[in-house]
Amino acid sequence: MKEKGKSERKFCGNCGSHNAYNYPSQVFCTNRFLKNMDPVVDTLWYCEDWHLNPQGCHCIENAEKKKRAQISARTA
Amino acid sequence: MERKDLLEQPVKHIRVNGKLSVDELVQQFGNSGSFGAGRLSTACDIYEKMARDEKCTIFLALAGAVVPAGMRSLIADLIREGLINVVVSTGANMVHDSVETLGGHHYKGHWLMDDHVLYRHHVYRIYDVLVPEEDFIKLDLKLAGTYDEIADEYKGESLSSSMFAWELGKRLNDPNSILRAAYEAKTPVFLPAVRDSEFGYIYYLHASRRNFKNTLVLDAFKDVPEIIGICRRSPRNGMIVIGGGVPRNTIQSAALATKSGLDYAVVITMDRAETGGLSGSTLEETVSWGKVKSNASSVMVFADAMIVFPMMVASVIERLGKGFKRKKPTQLVKYP
Repeated sequence: MKEKGKSERKFCGNCGSHNAYNYPSQVFCTNRFLKNMDPVVDTLWYCEDWHLNPQGCHCIENAEKKKRAQISARTA
Repeated sequence: MERKDLLEQPVKHIRVNGKLSVDELVQQFGNSGSFGAGRLSTACDIYEKMARDEKCTIFLALAGAVVPAGMRSLIADLIREGLINVVVSTGANMVHDSVETLGGHHYKGHWLMDDHVLYRHHVYRIYDVLVPEEDFIKLDLKLAGTYDEIADEYKGESLSSSMFAWELGKRLNDPNSILRAAYEAKTPVFLPAVRDSEFGYIYYLHASRRNFKNTLVLDAFKDVPEIIGICRRSPRNGMIVIGGGVPRNTIQSAALATKSGLDYAVVITMDRAETGGLSGSTLEETVSWGKVKSNASSVMVFADAMIVFPMMVASVIERLGKGFKRKKPTQLVKYP
């Protein structure tokens, strides 16, 4: 089975509804905003309305980097 | 005219020493009287005249990204000092004003940056100024709520763009903000092309969330009697234009409607007349429409407004002196 490429991973940071918010950890979701739901979500989260539309951005990569840094700071 | 009349004023050469103030430099430009230096010096003379003429309403037209580039506080201060009485702006300049009010910033970049790299980092470029996308998004989120609030207050009654700007200014708490300064000084801010900016997209967010029912209603035509009324009631009218476009013509058309035309006009632009576009149209052409009086004090300065306008203001403030207080006009437009 073919492994999913980095740009296809199921994260809000890959979804067509995302915009930068608290970069890189959180994104703004237009879809959720229009449904009167909390529009600010984690870049590395996803929901049932997730649809792949990678913008070629660095959101996921940088959110993962930040998360790793936070974990290693906590464990150090 | 005799030949000797043509040769009355010799060009005096510009002298610069280490102690020149801005106005002294501008005076040196005036001594030369030539090219852009001569035009800038004339622009300062006209602005000084407008400022000293207490019966003149001074309009400022703003087009082009001067707020992101750093002219925000300067304009807010001029409003507070009564050296600008009416602002007519693109929506975008007031969007950028609001971005900073909410804690966002504009950053120094470069005109040769790789825009695809910027796109991948969610960073927008305005020539050599950068804005992070999140500052716009935070504005969207905040103002969509503000639109809800205004819509609920007005219950379907429409607002002119200046009423809309007034309502925003009322809610923005930042002394450096143009919209806030205008609200406090009761200075009208007209946004004739308001939908052509992030304000338009925010309307979409606000209205979609309400299924396009009970939404904020802006009526562009409501601006017309407001701005014509200001021109009509004012004994004299003057305009300073940064850029041109819709803001410039909004002021000129109001002056035309009064059948008296503008008494003073300073236009700072880098546009050219040959395209027939308004921004580069000469003030002589404007006279043919009756928008500017044929005997008006007027000049066009063909230069970057980011250089010229702060110099103009510095020079004129120096001339007016510390004790100068311009009488502010009574509230030009009454809002609820």
